[in-house]
Amino acid sequence: MPALAPGRWAAVAFFGVAALVPVGVRDAYLLDSVILILLWGALSAAWNVAGGYAGQVSLGHAAFFGIGAYSAALMTTRFQQSPWLGLLLGVALSIAAGGVIGYLSNRLKGPYFALSTIAFSQVLLIVASRWRGFTAGSEGIPVPFRPGFWTLGLGHVAWVYMALGVAVLYYAVLVWLETSRFGYQLAGVREDEDAAEALGIASRRSKVYAVTLSAAMTSVVGTFWAQYVGFVDPFYVFSIDLSVRFALNTIIGGIGTGLGPFLGSLLITSLETYLRATFSGMKTGFAGIYLVIYGTALILVVRFVPEGLTGLATRLGARRSRAHA
Amino acid sequence: MDTARRLGPAQIDVVAQLGVSTVLLGGIYALVAVGLTLIFGIMRVVNFAHGEFLMLGMYVAFWAYTLWNLDPYFVLFVSIPLFFGIGFLTYVLVMRGVIHASHNVQIFTTVGLSTALQNAALVLWTGDFRTVRPWHSSVVIRVLGMAFNLSQVVAFAIAVALTLALFAFMKWTHTGRVMRATAQDHDAATLMGIDTDRVYRLTFAIGIACVGAAGVLVSPLYAVYPTAGLQFVLLAYVVVVLGGLGDMLGAMLGSLIVAAVEVVGSYFFGIAWKEVFYFTLFIAVLVFRPAGLFGQRGAETLGA
Repeated sequence: MPALAPGRWAAVAFFGVAALVPVGVRDAYLLDSVILILLWGALSAAWNVAGGYAGQVSLGHAAFFGIGAYSAALMTTRFQQSPWLGLLLGVALSIAAGGVIGYLSNRLKGPYFALSTIAFSQVLLIVASRWRGFTAGSEGIPVPFRPGFWTLGLGHVAWVYMALGVAVLYYAVLVWLETSRFGYQLAGVREDEDAAEALGIASRRSKVYAVTLSAAMTSVVGTFWAQYVGFVDPFYVFSIDLSVRFALNTIIGGIGTGLGPFLGSLLITSLETYLRATFSGMKTGFAGIYLVIYGTALILVVRFVPEGLTGLATRLGARRSRAHA
Repeated sequence: MDTARRLGPAQIDVVAQLGVSTVLLGGIYALVAVGLTLIFGIMRVVNFAHGEFLMLGMYVAFWAYTLWNLDPYFVLFVSIPLFFGIGFLTYVLVMRGVIHASHNVQIFTTVGLSTALQNAALVLWTGDFRTVRPWHSSVVIRVLGMAFNLSQVVAFAIAVALTLALFAFMKWTHTGRVMRATAQDHDAATLMGIDTDRVYRLTFAIGIACVGAAGVLVSPLYAVYPTAGLQFVLLAYVVVVLGGLGDMLGAMLGSLIVAAVEVVGSYFFGIAWKEVFYFTLFIAVLVFRPAGLFGQRGAETLGA
């Protein structure tokens, strides 16, 4: 057996189960849950690159998600091109925008940076919802379903593997950040920028790289999400709620860890699916109860378990191994 | 806000109307922003849930009006102590534990509070748009060719009175001086025997009382719904960053600037694009003058 850390084994188990689900299950509802868990996990992993590893907490990452979603939707509906081209366009735009935001992060710390990212996503929301001639404005864009890989018109099973591919890739990026020189540099800059500078780390450049990478990763999932769900609504894709959601999954799962975003997504997406189904028959708005739970959970987690689920598991694991010794 | 559309023919009237509309709007924005900047200045916390307390204020006015036919201006007498108490409780239950934590923990504590309150309102009162329409909301005053809504004029007057009262409190009372001392140097204040926890409690309670009052005041003018606070709080962020986070006088000037951008921008380019102007202004200020237009001393280090 290769010597893998317990966290890596947990990841193998997590992605392995996701890969096996479509083999035994054909229930569209369950497959849909798996796809959403993986996509939300990948989005949170992307947020984690900037928010967790580089310590640049963004509350406007929906901007990059929306760029990816709109690029693909507009590419298919307005220019009759493949959504894959839209994906590339979205990545290019997000790299440009992410570079600017990353540059801003050098001047703005903590709450100032968070505020500037909110402002950025709000500007995009206004443009997308008001520029009726190009983006269809506040009505949003229905994305037509054209079967085929090139048009990203896939069945549920194929989507599970697409989402799994992205999720595993993003997990690998996070593992790379935990073990590579660049990752250590980021950690140094996050913990003490002055000390990192003194050691010769180009702190500004590494933050710009991290935010840009995070933006591009978010944009890719934005494209997939739009193609999978089949509708792009500006008030959803650019919403602050969405940006908060990326952060929420990551924090509950474990900020700055590889598996954390995916565990957070598993927990929160399942809870949402369950509560939505339970309360769907009740009066309007009651489905929002899950968001009340999230908000409360977020307050409690950052206060009492700031290292999240993975940190909690490590702590318990350490206690147990000490008890065995 | 469509006052800009009901203009007299003469150009001078347009300028006068835009000017007065700016001041009326700015006065209300100032009351929203002043609580935010007070909390930041003293506690070094950006309250991302500020807008939700405004929304709760609007709902208090809505229910009082709908259930007991109470005018929002009477509700104010109840809502100010009520929101003072809510702010006090929120500090004790939520904020106290994270007051010395990192920025990120503080950001997510208030973000979590915002999410929870917003959706609690959604669950309790549904997402329907509600309106409060007391008699004064449909009265239009015409002076010298300018037209104003009576509710807006009264809201402005009360907002300005409350803001000035807060200024006077901060400037001339002993407690106000203690609060300013804590804002300037937390450690030195502690050494002088100031109970900073008490100062924080009071600060948060006053900040929330201000924004709760603002919510009641704007209820006859804007629709009431669970995310109604968002539009105001986004504005308030722009205002306080323009004025320099933590700077109360800066917040007043910032309110006027944002109101001017909104009124003039809506007049010339249509109401749909007004937010683009002030967000662009916001980002420009964050990039070029993060300490605010009026450069409060030391403000640039507050974000570190």
